[in-house]
Amino acid sequence: MAYVSMGEAHRRITDYLNRFSDAVLSQDGASLKLLLSVSSNSPSLLSLADALNVFQDATRLIKHSDSYSQFAEILVPLFRSLHNYRLGNLIDAYQAFEKSANAFIQEFRNWDSAWALEALYEVAYEIRVLAERADRELASNGKSPEKLKGAGSFLMKVFGVLAGKGPKRVGALYVTCQLFKIYFKLGTVHLCRSVIRSIETARIFDFEEFPKRDKVTYMYYTGRLEVFNENFPAADHKLSYALKHCNPQSTANIRMILKYLIPVKLSIGILPEDWLLEKYNLVEYRNVVQALRRGDLRLLRHALLEHEDQFLRSGVYLVLEKLELQVYQRLIKKIYIIQKQKDPSKAHQLKLEVIVKALKWLEMDMDVDEVECIVAILIYKNLVKGYFAHKSKVVVLSKQDPFPKLNGKPVNS
Amino acid sequence: MMNQGAETLATVDPSSLENRYVINGQGQASSYPPSAAGSEALSWTTHRVDNSSTENGIPSNSTYNYDPHMQQPAAISSSLGSSSTQQDYNGYTSYSNSSDPYAYGSTGYQGYYNNNYQQQTNSYQQQTNHSYSQPVGAYQNTGAPYQPLSSFQNTGSYAGSSSYTSTYYNPGDYQTAGGYPSSSYNNQTSGWNDGNYANYTSQQYANYTPDTNAVYSSGTAPATSVNYQQHYKQWADYYSQTEVSCAPGTENIAVNSTSNFGTSTGYPTFNSQPHPPYNQSWRPESVPSEVPPVQSGSVVSGAYDGYWKHGAPTAQIHNTSPAQPHFQKPLEQKSSYDSFQDQQKTACPQGPSLQYPASHQVSHLSQSPQVPHLSQLPQVPQLNPVPQTYQSPVQTAPSLDTRRVNKLQIPTNPRIASNLTFGITKTDKDSSTISAAAKPAYVSVSLPKPNEKTPSSTGADSMLKPGMFPKSLRGYVERALARCKDETQMMACQATMKDMITKATADGTLYTRDWDIEPLFPLPNSDDDNKEILQGTTPISILPKFKRSPNRRSKSRWEPLPDEKPIEKPAYANNNALKYAGWMHANEKDRKKGASKIIQRPVKKQRHSDGLGAVENGDASSDSDKEQGLTAYYAGASALANSPEERRRRESRSKRFEKGQGHRTETNHHKAKNSGAGNLYARRAMISKNFEDGASRAVEDMDWDTLTVKGTCQEIEKRYLRLTSAPDPSSVRPEEVLEKALLMVQNSQKNYLYKCDQLKSIRQDLTVQRIRNQLTAKVYETHARLALEVGDLPEYNQCQSQLKVLYAEGIEGCHMEFSAYHLLCVILHSNNYRDLLSSMSRLSDEAKRDKAVKHALAVRAAVTSGNYVMFFRLYKTAPNLNTCLMDLYVEKMRFKAVSCMSRSYRPTLPVSYIAQVLGFATVVPANEGSDEKDLDGVEECVEWLKAHGACLITDNNGEIQLDTKPTSSSLYMPEPEDAVSHGDASLAVNDFLTRTTL
Repeated sequence: MAYVSMGEAHRRITDYLNRFSDAVLSQDGASLKLLLSVSSNSPSLLSLADALNVFQDATRLIKHSDSYSQFAEILVPLFRSLHNYRLGNLIDAYQAFEKSANAFIQEFRNWDSAWALEALYEVAYEIRVLAERADRELASNGKSPEKLKGAGSFLMKVFGVLAGKGPKRVGALYVTCQLFKIYFKLGTVHLCRSVIRSIETARIFDFEEFPKRDKVTYMYYTGRLEVFNENFPAADHKLSYALKHCNPQSTANIRMILKYLIPVKLSIGILPEDWLLEKYNLVEYRNVVQALRRGDLRLLRHALLEHEDQFLRSGVYLVLEKLELQVYQRLIKKIYIIQKQKDPSKAHQLKLEVIVKALKWLEMDMDVDEVECIVAILIYKNLVKGYFAHKSKVVVLSKQDPFPKLNGKPVNS
Repeated sequence: MMNQGAETLATVDPSSLENRYVINGQGQASSYPPSAAGSEALSWTTHRVDNSSTENGIPSNSTYNYDPHMQQPAAISSSLGSSSTQQDYNGYTSYSNSSDPYAYGSTGYQGYYNNNYQQQTNSYQQQTNHSYSQPVGAYQNTGAPYQPLSSFQNTGSYAGSSSYTSTYYNPGDYQTAGGYPSSSYNNQTSGWNDGNYANYTSQQYANYTPDTNAVYSSGTAPATSVNYQQHYKQWADYYSQTEVSCAPGTENIAVNSTSNFGTSTGYPTFNSQPHPPYNQSWRPESVPSEVPPVQSGSVVSGAYDGYWKHGAPTAQIHNTSPAQPHFQKPLEQKSSYDSFQDQQKTACPQGPSLQYPASHQVSHLSQSPQVPHLSQLPQVPQLNPVPQTYQSPVQTAPSLDTRRVNKLQIPTNPRIASNLTFGITKTDKDSSTISAAAKPAYVSVSLPKPNEKTPSSTGADSMLKPGMFPKSLRGYVERALARCKDETQMMACQATMKDMITKATADGTLYTRDWDIEPLFPLPNSDDDNKEILQGTTPISILPKFKRSPNRRSKSRWEPLPDEKPIEKPAYANNNALKYAGWMHANEKDRKKGASKIIQRPVKKQRHSDGLGAVENGDASSDSDKEQGLTAYYAGASALANSPEERRRRESRSKRFEKGQGHRTETNHHKAKNSGAGNLYARRAMISKNFEDGASRAVEDMDWDTLTVKGTCQEIEKRYLRLTSAPDPSSVRPEEVLEKALLMVQNSQKNYLYKCDQLKSIRQDLTVQRIRNQLTAKVYETHARLALEVGDLPEYNQCQSQLKVLYAEGIEGCHMEFSAYHLLCVILHSNNYRDLLSSMSRLSDEAKRDKAVKHALAVRAAVTSGNYVMFFRLYKTAPNLNTCLMDLYVEKMRFKAVSCMSRSYRPTLPVSYIAQVLGFATVVPANEGSDEKDLDGVEECVEWLKAHGACLITDNNGEIQLDTKPTSSSLYMPEPEDAVSHGDASLAVNDFLTRTTL
């Protein structure tokens, strides 16, 4: 840490304080934002932190000046936070920042216009980031990480400040997205519901009026939630919205969206092109898609096994697993086509043993009963039209469209 | 024997006996209300005690109430049938009748008191007489309606075991009912105890009558002291250790010095204890009652209300006397009573007594509604007269007689001791000792109960009874207390505020003043208070005991505490102790009921005697001053058998008082106002509220390691009872015993309910002792498996979640097996994808290779794909208890399968195939379907299909077929036949009843 003379330290601190009060007085949200971004490691804040290290009495400095003392509630803990952040005491940094943020919210509540939204965003972001880091530190100390949870409840408070009517409402979606991030990280996604409800039911404010980046993020997260719920049409809608509006430059974001959108699309019968998977480095889906195309059950199972951890973690495993029925459908369709080429008149009567044989080729160890069960399920789920004659062990296919396409609808369940 | 006892009584006090008994009953009721369990405890205690007549004497001191009741019923119905509840009841009613006249006439009562008072002091007499007589009348009046009800309830409850349970579970009833129900309860209980009891009672009674006052007093003294000490221990956090030690010390002294008077001896000790309770009792009343009387000038109504509450306590005091047919007893009681007041006053009158004056006034009000001066009077005048009057008797008794009495007492003490031991050996050690302790507790308790609310030691809530004070005042108090930084300040504040409130009440401004704008008084300086206390206490406290205790207190960590605190708290403790002691007893007894019968009487005896020896040696195993004080006290008094267990038990009991205090308060509230049963929840809420304060204070000093219970119970069997307070080491089994218990359960042939009960008690003991090792895992695993076997998912889930934690701590067990269960559970029953995903992603590679886990995963796959063939194959090859979990899903799976089949198959499907595929047939191979087993499977399948609305036809070959097309639209899920409204068939009443007789 560079040596800073007392005078220099004092100068830097007063400089910061002046900028802070100027920004507030002139309602300059953008520059206020810069002053609050503790974790940004911006040179000015770093030098301020060094100064704080030298000049210990900043509190008095703040409290004794009329122009600063009105912000003492914000500034004093903020300085402490900066200082601790610089020293690597992330837990303390978080705690101080939360205090400061609370004071800031109080002030923000009193400001009629939404000029400080930028700064508020920064606060919301900072508190999440600091909480995550503090939790990491806590965890490494063997303590229970709880700061992120605290940040979550703080952001809920912020959301409450914003969610009403008025110009500040625009900011609500940003906070919501920060909350989503926290909840998904904590695995407490059920907490999202209340936030979503207040966003989606409040008709006073058109969703489209929110900033685009927030809309995309929001749609991404709610789409993921729908994937969890296996509500594929809704998930498709939301994730497609996110994909459509996502900044095409931010490929990482697009990839994240696709990671969920592709399984969703697959399960409603829409297969992606290979190049898409290549482009966004989603190769883990390649074999799955391939299996669907070929009706290759073995390939699907291999693919699932190969990427099991990944799929389980992202939460699409069960979705992908359900593709199995489509693979069966494809397989039977293939058999049907081959039969039709041989003998068109009897093509609609599929012998069970043929299917069993086909599965044997695929090294799937299934006996007649099991295959019969699968066929029954396929018929039941309307993936195959027709009926099964138990006595003769024959699948009798409908002459019209025996293998209906899903066409964007999920498999009946 | 019974007859004799009755006769003796009659001879002694022919006319008044019955009255007294009635009173007793009332008193008991009040004491008992704390919980149904308490009543149970009574019955048990008596039961166990029975053999040792002497013991009766001892505990009876405290428990006089009980004994009389018991005896009387016995007397009335010469043949105490085991379940001669009705007879008992009759007897009781008759008593109540007598009591009614008595109450109205109040002559008997007055006379009773008068005698007592006269003997002691004339001046005292007058005031007291008035006050008492009226209150008594009020009390009885109120009581009259209650009696029949309560009695009926009790009888009903006793008639059937079921009813018994119900009563047992409804503590609220008892409490609310007030003294009466409990009294009736006692009678019944006596009846309940059965033949044994009759014998016992008679024996006891005989012994009892012969016992002189001295015996009683001594008995009471120890009992009370015990309570007191316990309190101290419990409240150790609050009180400095020195205090605690003091208390015992004082008691000892008292015992030694005061033994001259049978009564006096008892009382000195008693006093030390009582005064706290007393304060409480009176004070609370005073607060509520005060307000109305002061303003209106007609104290009576308020007094009545208050009195009613108080009535129970007073009645109890009397009760003790009735137990002893002799006049002495009444005297003694009175003396004790007086002494209580005196002590209080003595302690209180000056600096610290700010609260006390108030309380005293209140008490006076309640007692003597007639006294006009209350309303006008600032505390001082009233207090002074009262205290003086009170003091004089009290002082004389203990101080004057102290030394002389000793001789008398000492002999008695040995008796008591012997009795105790005797009783202990015969009965359950726990019960006997406990009962001894508990009974005294009860006596003392009766007083404190009503008051408890007011003690206010807990803070604003307790200080202000809701409804009694204007809201604004409440707010004021809260504001005032909010400023306090620490407890001492808090205490000081409370003292100040009480003073203020008393004043306000006295000059009638309580309701007129605008408390919202009332300036807060300056925060009292705790040091000043302290000095005050010291000054006040020393001069006043003529009795050595008293002096000491205050002084020591001042030395204690809690120095700054205003006087009220020490006094009050003990009271609290006493109350709590009383109540809880009863409670505990009940619990223990209940628990042991089953076990004790079967096993281990001899063992207990042995242990007990050992323990006694140890105690007598005076080596207190434990740590604290309090403990030493206790031991010292016991050694000196030699009244109670002090086994280490006993001590430990006391400790643990004292712990539960923390909770008890809150409990108490509520109870009182409810008792007074609503006699309905529905208060339970409200009470709980209140408890928790009240408790917070105490808990926060207590926690700071709490060393959990030392507080962790080390069980001493050697019984292998133990009924499960949900703890509502701190555990009692004597009923907790140490690890070795638990291991045996687990084995016993595992090898037991009894039904699941029994095993579940046993396992829960094992789990409880483990938890209480904070044992977390392989045994713990084993216990939970065993229980989880058992629960699975019978499909008790809630219980299983409890075990599973514990196991999860245990495994996470690295404790070895059948981790894989249970992660398989967990998976299955999530898959089959929670249907939560996120849970499923997370638990799947947490599986280690090793786990995935495990047979059970693999199976579970396969089941999951079968379920998600709806592959019924696979499902039922897996069902048949399930390892461990996976089958049991799958069992719970079979119905759903079959239904899904059949609806799938009915859609996909045309035109028909043979039922034999369905039976085979859906697991109806026990042996599956497709071509062997003609043997009998398979037929059974088919029949079962036909039944099932019919029950679910399937269409079946018989084809030309006589084979039953499922007609799929009509079936596809006619299938339905029938209501499960064994559905119960409460959702758990295993909780059916019959099963539940069988539980109690395990």
